[in-house]
Amino acid sequence: MKKMKKVLSLLLVMAMTFACLTACSKSNNAGNGNDKGGSSTVSTEKPTLADYGSGTIKIWVADAAVEFTQQKCDEFFKANPDMAGYKVEIQPTGEGEAAGNMITDVQAGADIFGFAQDQLARLVAAGALMPLTGYYENFVATSNDAGAVGAAKVGDTVYAFPITSDNGYFLYYDKSVVKDPSTLEGIIADCEAAGKNFYMEINSGWYQTAFFFATGCKLEYTTDDTGAFTGSNITYASKEGVAALKAMINLAKSSSFQNGSSVDKATNLAAIVDGTWDASAAQAAFGDNYACAKLPTFTVDGQTYQFSGFGGFKLLGVKPQTEQGKQLVCLALAEYLSNAETQLARFKALEWGPSNLTAQADEAVKSNPALAALAQQLAFTIPQGNYPGEYWTDATSLGDDVIADKFDNMSDDELMKVLQDFQALEQSYAK
Amino acid sequence: MAKQHNMRTRKKVGNAVAYTVLILISIIWLFPFVCLVLQSFRSYITEVGGMVDYLVPKKFSLDSYKFLFSGETKFLKWYGNTLIIAVFVAIGQTAFVLCVSYALSRMRFKGREFLMRFWLILGMFPGFLTMICLYFLLKQFGLTQAGAVPGLILISVASSGMGYYVCKGYFDTIPKSLDEAARIDGATRAQVFFGMIIPLSKPIIIYTALTAFMAPWCDYVFASYVAFGNDNGYNVAVAMQRWVWTNDFQGYFTRFCAGGVLVAIPVTVLFLCLQKYYVEGVTGGAVKG
Amino acid sequence: MADKKKKGKVTAAFKAIGADIKDIGTTFAQGDWKTRLSFLIMGFGSFTRKQFVRGFAYLGTEVLFILYMVLFGAKYLKDIGTLGTVKGGYDANYVYTYGDNSFLILLYSILSIFIIIAFLFIWRINVRDNRNNQNKLSVPSNKDDLKSLLDERFDKTLLALPMAGVFLFVLLPIVFMICIAFTNYDATHQSPTNLFTWVGFENFKNLVSLKTGGFGHTFGTILTWTLIWAFFATFLNYFLGMAVAILINKKGIKFKKMWRTILVMTIAIPQFISLLYVGKMFAADGLVNTYLMKWGWIKEAIPFWTNPTLARITILFINLWVGIPYVMLITTGLLMNIPEELYESAKIDGANAFQTFRKITLPYMLFVTGPYLLTSFTGNLNNFNIIFLLNQGKPQSLELTGGAGYTDLLVTWLYKMTVNDTNYKMAAVIGIMVFVVTAVISLVVYNILPSVKDEEGFQ
Repeated sequence: MKKMKKVLSLLLVMAMTFACLTACSKSNNAGNGNDKGGSSTVSTEKPTLADYGSGTIKIWVADAAVEFTQQKCDEFFKANPDMAGYKVEIQPTGEGEAAGNMITDVQAGADIFGFAQDQLARLVAAGALMPLTGYYENFVATSNDAGAVGAAKVGDTVYAFPITSDNGYFLYYDKSVVKDPSTLEGIIADCEAAGKNFYMEINSGWYQTAFFFATGCKLEYTTDDTGAFTGSNITYASKEGVAALKAMINLAKSSSFQNGSSVDKATNLAAIVDGTWDASAAQAAFGDNYACAKLPTFTVDGQTYQFSGFGGFKLLGVKPQTEQGKQLVCLALAEYLSNAETQLARFKALEWGPSNLTAQADEAVKSNPALAALAQQLAFTIPQGNYPGEYWTDATSLGDDVIADKFDNMSDDELMKVLQDFQALEQSYAK
Repeated sequence: MAKQHNMRTRKKVGNAVAYTVLILISIIWLFPFVCLVLQSFRSYITEVGGMVDYLVPKKFSLDSYKFLFSGETKFLKWYGNTLIIAVFVAIGQTAFVLCVSYALSRMRFKGREFLMRFWLILGMFPGFLTMICLYFLLKQFGLTQAGAVPGLILISVASSGMGYYVCKGYFDTIPKSLDEAARIDGATRAQVFFGMIIPLSKPIIIYTALTAFMAPWCDYVFASYVAFGNDNGYNVAVAMQRWVWTNDFQGYFTRFCAGGVLVAIPVTVLFLCLQKYYVEGVTGGAVKG
Repeated sequence: MADKKKKGKVTAAFKAIGADIKDIGTTFAQGDWKTRLSFLIMGFGSFTRKQFVRGFAYLGTEVLFILYMVLFGAKYLKDIGTLGTVKGGYDANYVYTYGDNSFLILLYSILSIFIIIAFLFIWRINVRDNRNNQNKLSVPSNKDDLKSLLDERFDKTLLALPMAGVFLFVLLPIVFMICIAFTNYDATHQSPTNLFTWVGFENFKNLVSLKTGGFGHTFGTILTWTLIWAFFATFLNYFLGMAVAILINKKGIKFKKMWRTILVMTIAIPQFISLLYVGKMFAADGLVNTYLMKWGWIKEAIPFWTNPTLARITILFINLWVGIPYVMLITTGLLMNIPEELYESAKIDGANAFQTFRKITLPYMLFVTGPYLLTSFTGNLNNFNIIFLLNQGKPQSLELTGGAGYTDLLVTWLYKMTVNDTNYKMAAVIGIMVFVVTAVISLVVYNILPSVKDEEGFQ
């Protein structure tokens, strides 16, 4: 017994000294953190290398965009033969999945990947995005609309290349059913009369803000450069918040209301709050009666509000690279995939609304009905910032409670209590 | 006489009720499958590929099936992956289970009780807990993403030794005197195992292989965790579940149904053919625990 | 009493270890020079006795062990106290260098500890082997050694691979995840770019905390539902499944095989197809609701999945669809084992159908299928597929934290935390809780069951 103890303690001591020695000797080697230094990347010249080396660049884009991206990559390497030592491997991993997959294992993840903006802070916190500086920071800042530039930032650092500004929502409807798309009450009445469904995903934090921002509530977080949330400005627990919540409750009471935001999963559809990515599906569903409009107004306690909501963006991110050659090729490729020509071509091929100012000015973009509706709605929306992951979960909970009729018989005071708790919870995520 | 007559009518009424209940049950049980098949024949080109509020397609069409075989998608590759996984898992798991069962049923060695109890305890931990850890272990061997297929086989087979209960229960029912007679004749344990026990265990081998074969068709949780970011490593469950759950695939519902039918057919046929052994296995397992 | 027994066992184990160490000492003291050298160079004694197979096995183990520790194990094991200190970072050109990987440090440290234990074990065998053989004139030859692996020691051969598999792919990950429960490994401490470290019982405190954002209330709700679910899912299926089996077994019913085959389809068709589809059927805008409305039976959609109570009931009902065929299969054969005379005599005594069921069928079936009920119950506690494929645990509520919904079981909640929130630390804690619940229930029930107690009784 005693001997065992002795042996054990001896082993322990040995292990600890060993640990100390080795830990001390290497602790200051790589730990530069996020220091910005060195003039080479801060310069606004496009950084170049004599020899980029070779390798494989993994790219994740949505299934529909795989072919398009492949074609663009081929063009890129044709135009830049000095980087042609690299091959691309494109995988269909949509904007919805990409972030989750990257976070599971950054090292096995893609080198360049598309993602929806709500994942930005999470990705930065997990170290899955490399900050853009110098030339590339400039490129993002000067060529995209202001909302998109803001969306690519965490703190003051630019972390991604915007590729679309169309991640907002508006109304698709069936002209033969919905006569006047300007008020929610009118739409609901038309749908109920026709026995058809009105879809809005009120249990999603993304669509829910259409109510809360409409009445004037605020939901803002500030982050530092590492993606950590440092402060918040949330005013859900207010008269305005109660009005928004009541509007949701009223909507959920309608027999025509369905919770959802995907045309292909909707049945008996008359109107849906949805984004540009569903434009072709909506066209197919409505046929000749296809129409789009900005979101309607809604009335609570005699007061009328215009639906607001998020204006969101899709971004292209580059993973932190361990080799400079590959890093520069990735950056140049990501730039190419998000520049004016590619965005315009992407719009023509896939109807993704561009974030690039030049591309936005194109006639074809301007005349697209879905994008026109979105542009109209844009006047009422708030550019999407960074939100902690828990917000999306809690918003779903709030929406589920509304749909489950939990608040149906509550007084304003009781609703206020619900929102106070909600607000306190959301505030607790920013330290 | 009257009483007998009475009984007969009662029996008739009883049977009529029983038949009604059975028919009702059959309808309920088959209804989802009928729906699935019907919807798979709706065209996603000329009709709607997404969800609709009617059941019978307006026009019968094979478009969804054509799509699966067209090469526009890697469905055949995923199907092949799943088949490979299923076959190898069936072989590997059966081999492992037989080995463990024989050792535990026939041999008495130091630590046997402990081993059985220990495995029982290990089995009480939920499997998802360890997913992330298994992922990184597999990654170390290069068996994730592109190598997901062998990786999944490895994981399924490696942990299968713990599922020995049913098989050991079966071995326990084979009289030990048979072994002893053979051993007196000079046969080694190995010879007894391969020459005698295995030929006697056809039902349980089929049962083990069948259940092992069926499981990979349903594995989407761990498989998607291991294969993410590389669609060459997907199995059908992972790929088709993406059609339904992610927003990238608009109007894929009928194609999901069609794929579902194609997955269900071979598994179901195999199952129905080997049903007898399956029943034997589950019944034995239920009684022995 | 059980406590005393346990205590006795623990002291006995310590005593055994003590005696073992003493034995090592005496072996060394009394051993000849070959034995003594074998303490350092494993297998030396065996080589001198021309037992080359053993010798190589021992020596090989030692060489491999040393190589492993020097080349691989040590560099991870040294950091186990901190789980890494060096963070990754960019250089002036924004080229990234990865720092310490807490995940791998922990994982390989545990692996190394296992390997050390295994090595000590083999070393001990080596020592004992020397002691046993040093004074013997004839020792087992190489051929005997190899042969015995197919005969007396066939169990070692058979169990080697399965045990290695379980060890590496079951035990190691479980120990790893238990360790994670004591760290702060979550979305903001994600390897490889961030470090995580030990935090003691912090996460367990959070689990029972009733503050805002604490898991206490949610954990209580989900645990309760998990237990209620497992109970109803097991027994509803059991009784109704048996009823269906009796119905099909009934004299005078024709096409028995056909009825069974129809039911059995649900087992054969992969659940990810059937359950995903059935889940969609019951959505507010799904087939069931639209047809009921088309036929004018209902005016508003029935909130199958959005109303918490209704969602739970719906799941239980759909589970009948999944579970009844299993029970039917199992009970069909067993029901026929009940001697016909029992029923005959009951009939003569004037018992009606229900009475015969209660007095004859049920007691017999409960006795025989006791183990099935237990495994089915613990299986239902962890029945991931049905909940997740049908409605992913929805509906959520502000009354529940951590993304949990009213139909979530502990295990689906755990899954959500792992995959959606990458909140591994809490997932690990919940995993441990699932284990505790399963273990306690199994233990209690296991001790009640009469039919499992006597393992040898079947032979």
